[in-house]
Amino acid sequence: MLKGFTRNFKPLEILSEEEIEAIHRGTLSVLRKTGVRFESKKALKLFEKNGCQVDYTDNRVRFPEGLVEECLQKCPSSFRVKARNPKNDMIWGGDTVYFQALSGTGSVDLDTWEPKTPTRKEYYDAITCLDALPNVHIIPWYTPWFGFKNIPPVMAMPEGLAARLRNSSKFTCSNYSMGCEVFNIQMAKAVGAEIRSSMAASPPLTFYEDAVENAFRTVEAGFILLITSGSVYGGTSPATIVGSLISGNAEIIAGIVLAQLIKPGTRIIVQDFSFPQNMRSGSPAFGAIEISLHQVAFNQIWRRYRVPIDGGVSYPGSKKIDYQAGYEKAITALIGALSGTNTIWIQGAMYGELAFHPVLAIIDDDMVGMIGRFLRGILVNDETMALDLIDEVGPIPGYYLNKEHTRKWWKLEQFIPKVADRLTYPEWLKEGKKDCLSLAKEKYQEILSTHKVDPPLTRSQEEEIERILKEAREYYRKKGMITDVEWKAYMKDLESPNYPYA
Amino acid sequence: MAKGFMRRFPPLKILTDEQVEAIHRGTLDVLQETGVLVYNEKALSVFKKAGCDVDFETKRVKFPPGLVEECLRKCPSSFRVKARNPKDDLLIGQDNVLFFNFPGTDTVDLDTWEPRPPTKKEHIDLIRVLDALPNVHFLNAYPYFGFSGGIPEVMKEIEGVALRIRNSTKVTIAIANNDIDMFTIRMARAAGSEIFANPNTSSPLTCYTDQVNACFLAAEYDLPSMIWDGATSGGTAPASLAGAVVLSNAELMPYIVLLQLLKPGARVAVANLVLPQNMTNGAPAFGEIGVSLHNVAFNQVWREYGVPTVSSSCGPTSSKRIDFQLGYQKMMPTLLSALSGSSILQLYSSIYGEITAHPIQAILDDDIAGMIGRFLEGLEVSDESLAIDLINEVGPIPGHYLGKKHTRKWWKKEQFVPKAADRLTYPEWVKTGKKSCIDYAKERMEEILSTHKVDPPLTRSQEEEIERILKEAREYYRKKGMITDVEWESYKKIIGG
Amino acid sequence: MNNEILEGLRKAIKEYDNEKAENLAKRAVEEKLDPLRVLDAMTVAIREVGDAFGRGDLWLPDLVGAADAMQAAMPIIEEEIKRTGAKRESLGTVVAGTVFGDIHSIGKTMVCTLLTAEGFKVHDLGVNIKAEEFLQAIRNYNADILAMSALMTMTAPEQKKVIEQLKKEGLRDKIKIMVGGGAITEEFAKEIGADGYDPTAPGAVKLARKLIGR
Ligand code: B12
Repeated sequence: MLKGFTRNFKPLEILSEEEIEAIHRGTLSVLRKTGVRFESKKALKLFEKNGCQVDYTDNRVRFPEGLVEECLQKCPSSFRVKARNPKNDMIWGGDTVYFQALSGTGSVDLDTWEPKTPTRKEYYDAITCLDALPNVHIIPWYTPWFGFKNIPPVMAMPEGLAARLRNSSKFTCSNYSMGCEVFNIQMAKAVGAEIRSSMAASPPLTFYEDAVENAFRTVEAGFILLITSGSVYGGTSPATIVGSLISGNAEIIAGIVLAQLIKPGTRIIVQDFSFPQNMRSGSPAFGAIEISLHQVAFNQIWRRYRVPIDGGVSYPGSKKIDYQAGYEKAITALIGALSGTNTIWIQGAMYGELAFHPVLAIIDDDMVGMIGRFLRGILVNDETMALDLIDEVGPIPGYYLNKEHTRKWWKLEQFIPKVADRLTYPEWLKEGKKDCLSLAKEKYQEILSTHKVDPPLTRSQEEEIERILKEAREYYRKKGMITDVEWKAYMKDLESPNYPYA
Repeated sequence: MAKGFMRRFPPLKILTDEQVEAIHRGTLDVLQETGVLVYNEKALSVFKKAGCDVDFETKRVKFPPGLVEECLRKCPSSFRVKARNPKDDLLIGQDNVLFFNFPGTDTVDLDTWEPRPPTKKEHIDLIRVLDALPNVHFLNAYPYFGFSGGIPEVMKEIEGVALRIRNSTKVTIAIANNDIDMFTIRMARAAGSEIFANPNTSSPLTCYTDQVNACFLAAEYDLPSMIWDGATSGGTAPASLAGAVVLSNAELMPYIVLLQLLKPGARVAVANLVLPQNMTNGAPAFGEIGVSLHNVAFNQVWREYGVPTVSSSCGPTSSKRIDFQLGYQKMMPTLLSALSGSSILQLYSSIYGEITAHPIQAILDDDIAGMIGRFLEGLEVSDESLAIDLINEVGPIPGHYLGKKHTRKWWKKEQFVPKAADRLTYPEWVKTGKKSCIDYAKERMEEILSTHKVDPPLTRSQEEEIERILKEAREYYRKKGMITDVEWESYKKIIGG
Repeated sequence: MNNEILEGLRKAIKEYDNEKAENLAKRAVEEKLDPLRVLDAMTVAIREVGDAFGRGDLWLPDLVGAADAMQAAMPIIEEEIKRTGAKRESLGTVVAGTVFGDIHSIGKTMVCTLLTAEGFKVHDLGVNIKAEEFLQAIRNYNADILAMSALMTMTAPEQKKVIEQLKKEGLRDKIKIMVGGGAITEEFAKEIGADGYDPTAPGAVKLARKLIGR
């Protein structure tokens, strides 16, 4: 099993008991009075059968308090998730903290910093890199990118999942679009892995049919469901952080009720994916501090509901791998880890959902190592307090460098980053003034030339994946969702001698 | 008064109450059993009179626990420090959080990233930028180690204090080497400002003459003190963090005891610059996570004592450039210190480990301070902010919030808008020339330098008094032989005569 | 038997065991082992540790720990060398310290450790060392090299003072002087008439070899 990190102290809290209670009551009142819209006949019927008040004219569902409380209680407070290789299984919930790569639409040119579309080879290589990084515990959906060159958009998700299963044995995820979850679920089953899929609300207070359909399929397959609210406060939820929390939690709870009605005891993880609105451009304000305030409050409430928490989505607002990106990612991830997020998104993400780079994932991995070390805290006992040693060393000219105690303890206490610049000025000048970015580029090449996925897919697993992909291609081609031009380029891509890796 | 940020929630803790108690007991034990070397005759006598076990021969002082605890109780848990302009008065302690700068020996070239001594103008520019930034609440010593052009070593910081007093109304710090605080304290006073006395510890467990003298000066002039401890764990302190906390606390106590013996109720804050040792090259491991683990534990213990804490180690990092690494290495330690109860954070302007600083960096750090400050202020939970009626009114899609009056009012209260961060979308960013935060910071720096004025400037008579004290200092060190003939020649050229 | 002792000494150094190193040195003397061979064995061990440090396999506390273990055995072996009148092959004798007014010790300690590992006989005077103290040690130990460290611009001129004092007392030409520490530059070293400067500890070792031509 992957240990990840454990927070050895109480989580950071910013709300009082009374304030949490007020937010909880507010959420229940929204569920009861305002209700949530479900664009799914199947869901509406299920809700009605279980005592919700359903209005079929505007597809609004209003939830009785008792049902809400009951369904929250059915969510396991912690559970194991199974990866392709059991050594990568995890236990989500409680004080455990895991980290996951964070994808972007496309790649980025590290000189001009402009976005670009990755190739198939880059896609597979980036997964190899994530598989090798010690603090990437989850390689989620869309990762590393939404797709790659010559892939028709409808095939991006199944092709991506196939790539992750081939080049990594870590826990992965897949999402829904145009019904592709059917193929994704088959692929996961073919290699004996569980996956996490999602049901995303469309704020305010709405679920569309594709999300609901995916929830049914995922839950019925016995996989893990991530329920997410991704509002932009000031746009699709109130401009106040607590108002936005109420609106978002009402959405998530509606989703939980559905999932637990489909199959009681379903493993659920809830995600905070909300941003403030940038009031000039209208886009989400990536990298903003309010994301962290929202997350801490979210965590405090969901810890009370005892449901594992996902979040800390740290997309920087900066377009480059620069100072700003560094502090923006650091604060989001750190606050998430301190306040009880169980699975945090970070490695590789660049500007606001639009870019990812594996070299940045390497740099981020150091940051995650630092956070993990902090979570472990400080050990206080006779040996660590070292009173006898302090007495032995005494004042100047005494020193500690040559002591047995130092040889033992410094390694236990210090986390050593892999690609951070740790040199003194003279050393740095002599070594060519390398920064973390150039050190990470070197590391990337090293990983690509040495890392091997453990274990690779067996021959029969590989055949099965290829068969499912083929089925998906034909399905979408027949449905007219792949145009002739797209099909031609796609088929040519598949003829590559190095398929599927390049 | 300079308004800091209020932390509106309980501080982050990583130790249990029992662990805090164990560290306290350990500290008292070291003070009583091992003791501390004090190279200062006057202080040895004071300690002796107060009941310490003093060996005048070896200069070792051992402290009875009762005395230490009594002196800790005498420290005020919050206090005010007076600036020349009351708008810059400081309120230190409780849940108020202030920021100041971390100096560098040199400035740095923003293209080659190599360090070099600043010119006098650059030295003044940095002071002016720090004076202009509203979240820099006071100024540390330096901000650079002098400037190029031939000032004698011993005069660098004295000239530096004069520059700070002339170009800023913010409170500053009087470092204690070679008696220079004898002059700088009087300069601050001539300008109508208090200044922090600055006794520093030397690890392990040693107090040098000048540093101890600073306590006597603090008592004489009734000044607040900021005591620094800068042990490196694995080098001058135990490699285990709990041991390093015990040691650094034991090193701070003799100064606390002395200050409170000399003047009960003396204002004091303790500063933490404890860093892990980089075991490859022996340098302090700036910017690494051990910094924060120590800081958070330190804060927790000193909150029990009711003595305000200063986090110094969050400023310097191990990166040589203004880059991604610098960003996370500054953010994490500063944030963790702020969350865990530091009253003062030493963040602004530093780049690589005490060696380089730059005004552009100070401007960039202003956004980090603003973000952390916004976080500390937490969330307001009220009927209006909960917005349940509004949620009901807007309902599901196609409802939305952008046009609502509630949004117009609240977004500004809730959102912190950084000043030098890139917040554009990709198309906007490409159209405006792909600017990064450094470009925005340069623009802000230009603006500050062309518009900012010190408020108020020194009066004529204050200026004369400063000049007189400078002259006195020059003669004092000349006579002491600490300014050589060669130095004196080039110095004369700068000071005009 | 003999090999066992030598092997044990090597191991003691590589396992940072002061006590064992000291005991084995005593036994080596009792068993009348050739002290030069003993010294050789220890030098090989410490050099292996030094190399591992250079490669990044070992760390500072290991390096300093090994040097300490060697230092624990050293006086016993040296005594034996003196007693038997054997000719010791040391690279040279170094007197080192951080100058007066300056208590920064870390870099200076590193330099001393690496010099020891290389096979120099090092007398580390510590920190806050006055010119007279340097001079006295140079005379006492009949040193080949003086290594001075200074980390503050304020204390750097102390190095000049020491050199001038050496000149005054007619000792300057008898000794090679190398300087270092954060406040020192190549230029400054030239200006004050030092024989060499290096900004790193491994560089300091190469420099020391160069200065005495070995
Ligand atoms: C750690 C440290 C301390 C510790 C020292 C602990 C100790 N036992 O050594 C403490 C906290 C006690 C301390 C105190 C002070 N410090 Co201090 N300190 C530092 C710091 C952060 C690191 C120094 C260090 O250990 N570097 C790592 C070692 C390995 O490097 P190194 O010594 O340079 O050695 C390397 C090379 O130079 C070379 N080398 C070293 N010696 C020799 C010798 C020879 C012959 C050769 C060839 C090579 C060589 O090999 C080494 C390995 O590569 C520096 C800033 C920095 N980043 O450098 C400030 C710094 C040196 N300190 C400074 C100051 C001002 C002080 C204080 C005056 C502060 C105060 N107000 O109290 C006091 C001084 C007290 C005194 N009288 O000396 C200033 C000096 C400024 C200046 N330009 O003059 C610095 C630069 C920081 C700053 N900008 O403020 N300090």
